[in-house]
Amino acid sequence: MKARGFNYLVKITAVDYTSYVELVYILYNLSTKAQEIVKVKLQPNGMEVETVMPIFSAADWYERELSEMFGIRIKGRNARRLLLEEWDGVDAPLMKSFVWGTDYKRQS
Amino acid sequence: MAMMRINVGPLHPSTHGVLRLVVDVDGDTIMNVEPHIGFLHRGVEKLCETRMYMQNPSYFEKLDYIAPMSWQELYVASVEQAMGVQVKEAAQYARVILLEFQRIANHLLWTGTMANDIGQMFTIFMWCFRERDKVLKLLEDVTGGRMFYLNMRLGGIQRPLPPDFKDRAYALADYLEKKVREYPDVLDANSVFMERMRGVGAISKEDAINYGVTGPVLRAAGVEEDVRRSSPYYVYDKMDFRIPTGRNGDCYDRYRVRYEEMLQSIRIIRQALDTLPDGDMVGAPIKLIGPPAKPDIVVARRELPKGEGLIYMVPDKQRPYRISLRAPGFVNLAALPKMAVGAKFADLFAIFGSLDIIFGETDR
Repeated sequence: MKARGFNYLVKITAVDYTSYVELVYILYNLSTKAQEIVKVKLQPNGMEVETVMPIFSAADWYERELSEMFGIRIKGRNARRLLLEEWDGVDAPLMKSFVWGTDYKRQS
Repeated sequence: MAMMRINVGPLHPSTHGVLRLVVDVDGDTIMNVEPHIGFLHRGVEKLCETRMYMQNPSYFEKLDYIAPMSWQELYVASVEQAMGVQVKEAAQYARVILLEFQRIANHLLWTGTMANDIGQMFTIFMWCFRERDKVLKLLEDVTGGRMFYLNMRLGGIQRPLPPDFKDRAYALADYLEKKVREYPDVLDANSVFMERMRGVGAISKEDAINYGVTGPVLRAAGVEEDVRRSSPYYVYDKMDFRIPTGRNGDCYDRYRVRYEEMLQSIRIIRQALDTLPDGDMVGAPIKLIGPPAKPDIVVARRELPKGEGLIYMVPDKQRPYRISLRAPGFVNLAALPKMAVGAKFADLFAIFGSLDIIFGETDR
């Protein structure tokens, strides 16, 4: 993608469709002003994906956010702390299995 | 000399939000910076999935409480896109005018606090707040709210502009232009300000693109990228304005870019007022999204005062199934280590301040 001029990573996000999880990479071409969306389907048990850090430094925080909010394991990243302070990464709050409003007890 | 680790915070260097920085220094030189965010995390993306469409705009206003209207407008625009609603012509002009006033208010606050942060105390701060207050007063008279507006409706705005709006907006634009042009007399002529801004926290064009920074930070590095130009929304394609860019990508260029942007915003406001058509501009309340219009995904982009904002939404009938936000502060803060490593410790706050980060949108 980068060779085709999509040199700017706008956003990495994910959507949980319950039967599968869809990773979304939004890329942008700064010279032609074109936007392209790349989607990757993941099976919900044992989700992992290669890091894109070597290509886009902008991926750093997005990938950490993904492992924190969706429990997706990013291959090729050394085990640094997750993104948000005071967050243990046990639950995956943006998955649909995490029901909003239930009494959430921190496991410690 | 041995390396030393200094903990900064959890506190905002200029106390609008909470941030913790862990800084490794060798003498006075920064070797590494690790920003720790999340003190203001309230799970907005999850929260929006549990609320109806019309309940959500107020969450978006609190993402960026310096320029709330821009995020609110981005959300309403994404819902409009999901419903296939056309914005009324007069309302398009009205939105452009209000959003540009909002951008000026944001940049004024930034200029004032930035100068304050690096020791050019209070003169320019008071000037900026004096001007910003006049902008807020106008927005208050239009929308009814001084800080939080909630004035965007489907296809239009909440209520028509007041009858004397045009005259007041012209007068305010003239006033702002006169006053804003005075700022360089105080700032550029001040050697302390210049020494602390010029050559500090520079980021190259390639790095800026690679790290994905947006808005004035990207433009200061010499990349001419502005959503208002590259994918124009509303009537921006009819407006004649320039995209200011910098050369060195340092703190001074970021200040210069924002200063020029204020003047360009005034130009846009004048043109929009000149061509503001008569007609209905009142929109409808946000309702359910019916099946015929419902697309699979919605991607809405806007040039927010702090950079490019993007909403990726998977709409459902009553409430968004998933809504994902790209906040300019988030990506700009992620690039802070790149800019700060190698600089002096005292410059850290100048660099941080120059990024114009707000923690409501960074932590979400």
